[in-house]
Amino acid sequence: MTGAPEPLLRVRGMTVAARSGRPIVSGVDLDAHPGEAVALAGPSGCGKSTLLRAVLDALPPGLRRTAGTVTWAGEPVRPGGAARRWRRAHAGVLDQDPASAVNPLLTARAAVLEGRTRALGGRRAARGRALELLDALGLDAADVAGRRPHTLSGGQVQRVALARAILADPPLLVLDEPTSGLDAGALDLVAAEVRRRGAGGGATLLVSHDPDFVARVADRVVAVGARPPAPPRATRPAPGRGGPPVLNASGLRLSHPGRPVLEDVSLEVRAGELVAVTGPSGSGKSTLLRALAGLHPPDGGSVALRGRPLAATAEARERGQLRGVQFVAQDPAGALNPAHPVGAAVVRPLRVLRGVSAQRAREEARELLSRVGLDPALAGRRPRELSGGQRQRVAVARALAAGPDVLLADEITSALDADTADAVLALLEELCGNGLAVLLATHAPGAVARAHRVLRVREHGLPDAVPPHRTEHSHVG
Amino acid sequence: MRAVFWPLAAAVVGIALFGGALAPHDPTSSIAGPWAAPGAASPLGTDSAGRDVLSRVLAGGRGPVLTAALAALCATAAGLWGGLVAGWRGGWPDRLLSGLADLLMGVPFLLVAMVLAVALPGPAAVAAATVCGGAPLTLRVVRDTVRRLRHSGFVEAARGRGERTGAILVREVLPSVAGIAGADLGLRFVAALQTAAAIGMLGLGAQPPAPDWGLMLRENLAGAALNPPSLVAPAAALTVTALVAAVLARRAADERSGRGAVGAW
Amino acid sequence: MRVVAVAVRASVVLVAVSIMVFAATELLPSDAAAVRAGGGATPDELARMRSEAGLDDPAAQRYLRWLAAMATGDTGTSLVSGRPVAALVEARAGATLALAGAALAVAVPLTALMAWAAGAAPRRVRAGAAGAVAGLAAVPQAAFAAGLVAVFSAALGWLPPVSLVAAGGSPLDRPETLVLPALALAVPAAAYGAGLLGGAVADALAAPHVADAVLRGVPRRRVAARHVLPFLLAPAVRVLATVAGSLLVATAVVETVFGYAGLGELLVSAVATRDVPVVQAVAMLSATVVVGGLAAADAAAALTDPRSGVPA
Repeated sequence: MTGAPEPLLRVRGMTVAARSGRPIVSGVDLDAHPGEAVALAGPSGCGKSTLLRAVLDALPPGLRRTAGTVTWAGEPVRPGGAARRWRRAHAGVLDQDPASAVNPLLTARAAVLEGRTRALGGRRAARGRALELLDALGLDAADVAGRRPHTLSGGQVQRVALARAILADPPLLVLDEPTSGLDAGALDLVAAEVRRRGAGGGATLLVSHDPDFVARVADRVVAVGARPPAPPRATRPAPGRGGPPVLNASGLRLSHPGRPVLEDVSLEVRAGELVAVTGPSGSGKSTLLRALAGLHPPDGGSVALRGRPLAATAEARERGQLRGVQFVAQDPAGALNPAHPVGAAVVRPLRVLRGVSAQRAREEARELLSRVGLDPALAGRRPRELSGGQRQRVAVARALAAGPDVLLADEITSALDADTADAVLALLEELCGNGLAVLLATHAPGAVARAHRVLRVREHGLPDAVPPHRTEHSHVG
Repeated sequence: MRAVFWPLAAAVVGIALFGGALAPHDPTSSIAGPWAAPGAASPLGTDSAGRDVLSRVLAGGRGPVLTAALAALCATAAGLWGGLVAGWRGGWPDRLLSGLADLLMGVPFLLVAMVLAVALPGPAAVAAATVCGGAPLTLRVVRDTVRRLRHSGFVEAARGRGERTGAILVREVLPSVAGIAGADLGLRFVAALQTAAAIGMLGLGAQPPAPDWGLMLRENLAGAALNPPSLVAPAAALTVTALVAAVLARRAADERSGRGAVGAW
Repeated sequence: MRVVAVAVRASVVLVAVSIMVFAATELLPSDAAAVRAGGGATPDELARMRSEAGLDDPAAQRYLRWLAAMATGDTGTSLVSGRPVAALVEARAGATLALAGAALAVAVPLTALMAWAAGAAPRRVRAGAAGAVAGLAAVPQAAFAAGLVAVFSAALGWLPPVSLVAAGGSPLDRPETLVLPALALAVPAAAYGAGLLGGAVADALAAPHVADAVLRGVPRRRVAARHVLPFLLAPAVRVLATVAGSLLVATAVVETVFGYAGLGELLVSAVATRDVPVVQAVAMLSATVVVGGLAAADAAAALTDPRSGVPA
């Protein structure tokens, strides 16, 4: 054909639709050449993981590939049994949460040997190779090989899954959101493996929403979705409002039953400030916000609102304090009670916390809805008739109805598509402009970029070493 | 299917409860010789004592169906209460109630019903056995749901505005749990109807000459060959009633949970 | 450790059942003294008999005495026939074992088949099968047994409507008498068990490592053998115990329908005649077998789970 080298993997016109007919991925082309690491990038919900699964012909129930072809080394890969055999023979897969994807009944050695998808010079040689690989990934193979996942740490199981994916040195390595399920050490090992493969002619296909990791390992980035993600804006300096902090916490110690989460956290937020709290998933961002909201009693430390101490639980806080600190949770699906019209959710805090009359509360609720960019006529609708973004706006309106000094927003954009997330963030910015203090837990770079200040919740060492995480202040920009 | 189901369900419930009013004959008095074949006067023939089978089937549902409904209500109410407390409070009340439920779940409850029938009237024995056997199941489902709801955005928002626990449970939690409890009520009803049918068939419930589907099975076994409808009719009535309740429960459950389909594997 | 916990739990359940059994018989308006004396005793005589027999002691004391007697096999004599309860039970136990065994032999493969059809069969089969299994499980056993009689003996005349066992004979002398009772026991129990097992199958298929194996292209058969079936072992054993237990208790219904002289029929007639010692003995025996079976299943599951035990 042409003089260009034939790609190892060639995808043409891949189209995936939901059962309702709604398109998820439309006509995507994708090539991966030998030795190349290709990243699929795009905001959450843009369909990049779906595209990856469509290429592998392993779509979850409810999704259908309606068009598109996959070609491997010049040969078409037909969907169904043929694709199943193809991916077993040629692809090593590391899925989003590799630690939970290891069969709990298998020993580490048996789990790694599941990756023996081609002859590796006999059984004994394969076992030897598995042990070598475990050692190479920083595990004590002699100790780990005979143990089952429940006796290993999360970090160790992640390495077992990685060893399984690369045991047979597959010509195609597929990584789905490795930054969400792997610790920092395992990520370094993955990056090293991708580089090693590049030299050896193996292709890598990667999906990640983490631009840092993509920049680190990918040779080429394919943008998925309607438009490429907006370039992060420069962080603006904190507004000139000085004055005492509205909310401050000192020496907070947080834990889940039997597991320390955060130790000695101190922070302060001033009026008009938008502060982002970032860190890897599971690092305790949500727990921190919930503790401030009085929903997760801390083991120690104190929280104060305008200098007056706040009780550890919402139930023990007095009305004025409840009004002052309001919390918006992550999941728009559970944000509103499916049994009540959404207007009632906004009316309730006006009645309960501010003692507004029923008539006045209804009017004010409509004003609040339009203030968060919703049609006030939506007040009579049920939550299930609203989109995720609309529900999240209602949740913000409900929090605003209390007339808070501080808004605690826990990953409120993570379940929204890029445009909606952007609009919700713009709303938060606008509220800050009116003097509200906002503490936003997020891992989305776009959200971090809008913050005046960033607090990073960092983890030290591997989870199995279990030193508690530590929070520190750091000004970005 | 849908178009047929609702009228059918309404008819079954109506006949089970008020069919006695439609009975062409007195269900307790003889109109012909024993085991008379179906004819114009009695479309389903007569039973061992020459009573009209159709009239007895029409009148015989009220006892078992009311018993089962009451038993199911008691079991669901007990399970709902326990599940709300265990799920909301957590800690020791949860451990106590869940432990109790686990223990009761191991008890064979038809056996309990028979033993209780020694001293209690049939309906009371059925109700007690249904509560012992069914409330633990309801408790578990409700408890798990409440535990999940306790961390949902709307419940936490209610806590964040200082609402009292009672208000949160009634306003925020109960509406979401009601659907589950409804589906569960259907399942408890099926189990209670099965127990009531067994107790009646064993002669430990309604006593002759009262019309009762379970008791009719017992009385008309001997006439299976002489007048088959006398045995088939009450068996069919019990079966159809139980199936209608089972389908209703399944629909309620599907509507609420939309239990995820098993993927391609 | 877990085996000890299982044993403790089973004992607690049995104590709870024993309290229920004792309490139920306590509720009777007349006690053993009144029954034994018939109508002809004066109140004074009755009072004397009561204090001699210890019937005036507090309920807790009598309960403990009764429990101790049960535990040592002293089950007393029937109030109706005057024969030792142990002898009555012994005479009937064989017939019930034969019936329950035959029913279990049908129920086990039937449960597996229904659970597969409702939980793991190809999508088109699955939806219909799940509904059919749920429907079958809803049918009252008494109605199902009556239906069998109406169809297979009254209408078709293939099988006898009653299953009388000749005195001194064994039900195995005429195996055709076992067919209908065994079916009447097995089918509802299997449908119930399949509902439970179908849930376990769906859970096992929904495990993340199964999706991962599919993503890695592991062949279907290997996914089933290596990633699904091992996780069904423990639930299957539990369901087997549950099916066996519910089947044993249901013998009361089925034996009554078919006039089959087994333990279930003995229990029912004892309840009808308020023959308290017989009720107590048969109920406690059945409860012990059922609870013991469930406990054995739990213990087996705990012992064979490679995840239990001390980490290597």
